[in-house]
Amino acid sequence: MSLFRQALTVVRKDLLLEWRGKGRLISVLLFGVVTLLLFSFAVGPDSTLMRAAAGGFLVLALLLSSTLGLSESFRVEQEQRAIEGLLLLPVDPIALYYGKTLSNTLFLMLLAPVLTPVALILYSVQLDLQGLAVLLGLWTLAAAGLSAPGTLYAAMTSRLQSQDVLLPLLLFPLVIPVLMGAVKSITLILTGDPMSQVSAWATLLASFAIIYSSLCGLLFPHAIEEGI
Amino acid sequence: MPSRAANTAIPAVQTTGLGKRFGRQWALAHCDLEVQPGEVLLLAGANGSGKTTLLRLIAGLYKPTQGSMSIYGMDPEQEKLACRRTLTLVGHDNYLYSQLSALEMLQVWTRLRGVELSEEQAIDLLREVDLQDRRDYPVGGFSAGMRKRLTLLRTRLEEPKLVLLDEPFSALDASGQNLIEEWIEGYRSAGKTVVLASHNLPRSSKLCDRAILLQQGQMLWQGTGADLLNHVGATA
Amino acid sequence: MTRQFKWDSGLGLLGLLLLFVGSYIGLFVAPAERYMGETQRIMYVHVPCAWNAMLLYTLAFIFAIVSLWTHRPKWDAVTTAAVEVGIVLNALLLVQGSIWARATWGVWWDWDVRLTTSLIMVLLFAGVLALRSFVHDAGRRATWTAIATIVAFVDVPLVYFCVRWWRSLHQVQSTPDTVAPMMVVPLRINAFAILFLAIWMMAQRVRVELARRAQDQVAEPERIAPIGGSTNA
Repeated sequence: MSLFRQALTVVRKDLLLEWRGKGRLISVLLFGVVTLLLFSFAVGPDSTLMRAAAGGFLVLALLLSSTLGLSESFRVEQEQRAIEGLLLLPVDPIALYYGKTLSNTLFLMLLAPVLTPVALILYSVQLDLQGLAVLLGLWTLAAAGLSAPGTLYAAMTSRLQSQDVLLPLLLFPLVIPVLMGAVKSITLILTGDPMSQVSAWATLLASFAIIYSSLCGLLFPHAIEEGI
Repeated sequence: MPSRAANTAIPAVQTTGLGKRFGRQWALAHCDLEVQPGEVLLLAGANGSGKTTLLRLIAGLYKPTQGSMSIYGMDPEQEKLACRRTLTLVGHDNYLYSQLSALEMLQVWTRLRGVELSEEQAIDLLREVDLQDRRDYPVGGFSAGMRKRLTLLRTRLEEPKLVLLDEPFSALDASGQNLIEEWIEGYRSAGKTVVLASHNLPRSSKLCDRAILLQQGQMLWQGTGADLLNHVGATA
Repeated sequence: MTRQFKWDSGLGLLGLLLLFVGSYIGLFVAPAERYMGETQRIMYVHVPCAWNAMLLYTLAFIFAIVSLWTHRPKWDAVTTAAVEVGIVLNALLLVQGSIWARATWGVWWDWDVRLTTSLIMVLLFAGVLALRSFVHDAGRRATWTAIATIVAFVDVPLVYFCVRWWRSLHQVQSTPDTVAPMMVVPLRINAFAILFLAIWMMAQRVRVELARRAQDQVAEPERIAPIGGSTNA
């Protein structure tokens, strides 16, 4: 119970920081929008091609924004070594991990309301309300899947040189199942899903998030044994 | 001075053959230290003599390369959280989030200790360090001294039995330094243990029950605060 | 300085000899495959490389758990050795797979399940080594290497199934029962040959790592006799 409360305190603190530093969230959002725009130049003005690739571009925008959000979430911890101040308190490191993972997941979920409409408009894709709801659900699963290992690796790389290179280098190959699952399922939603395969991909996304949030929760206390 | 009765009690900190190596460099070696409950111990020594390493080892932020250690009879490896509940460290860093206000910082710290701090209590605390008017301002705008005062309030939250202070007087003006001195006197009379590392010998030597001089990671000399001043004066 | 003959040198030589024998049988004795013809002979190194790469990654995973548990330098050394040699075999696997794809399908790359998975595996474990190279403190380097190895290994089955779903086109695995006996023999011989060579390489790597660690193991400085002062204990 106290573990749960400590984790919630961390989430609350992170959300407050995010709210105060709205500039950060807005920058990451803009970054996502810019990548969406750039992707459309990759396939040219051919609207059929763009429509087919819309799901992939949307998920790639999420993936690229996620490393920015993740490293940012530990930059505020390192700025005045606030994380050490937390580790010195009688806080269970597991609570710290789940708190940070949850707030990172929430942060990535906040990208959906902006990036999705932009993608729908840019790539001229139609989507009904039900489809939109399913898409948001898939987005949430993908966000959790990215945050679970991402929080562990962002914590580990946050004090290393070349953190900006190292985090994507570690994270991108690892989250390929998330990328594939999200791209496939979201594309199916955008282009119609006659075989109803979406649920299979959703299961994959959920399994990834569950497996990695349990595994990284176990490993996190070891990673910060001597502080970060 | 620790009384005879306190000597038979479980020591607040006990280290045997404690050593810490970073790469090829021993930052601390052969450290046999016993700090009695209620004692105020001063760690003195040049930069790089191992004061900070020793404090961080006691606080559990480093794992010893060699030797063992106990905090009020507890093994820091086995009872990590219990040790953290017992002690507090204020190091060189301020542990602050620039975008939170002074009040919010205090609330985050106390909540993570499992205590809810009422606004009145928080304001009382902030009044102690003369920050009550700044309670709602983001700490990013604070001066170095104000940040240090706020962080030093961590030693007043939840009342830990063992207070570790690394250079508590740095960045503080005279009134701030007096305040910390008062606090340390208060901790002593409350039976709490204080270990502080400081370069401000005139101030800290008056304050301490015992002083230890570290050199190249080893305990070179120990005695009373007054003797320390003489010793350092004689060798300098 | 005398050079001692070490156990692993013998194993390495044996591996080399077996590789020679196995490849000779594979190239000249075994019959050509009915459908794929001579191209199929690359399988005699390809499949053993794949088996051993997977074996080494699995060992690395187990060693990493032990390393995390015990914090002993030797377990960190074997974990790193297994990851590194695993990457070497994995890279060979990719090159051979690419050659195979060129000969069979006329393209240098095919998004075949196993080929794609092995590409992702190389990147996964190369990340472990990249992280390792950035950590200076030996204790933390060992812990973080172990953590990254565990995290990467758990991903392998997920990636495999994912790629399979992603592209449901793949070669059915052939089991030794369905192929001619003279095809099985060189496959088995080469599997052991590469295993022995891998162990030999690992042994070298472990030695280098332990020597590096030993270099850091500077003895504690002599105890300085405390001077003067009033003893007050």
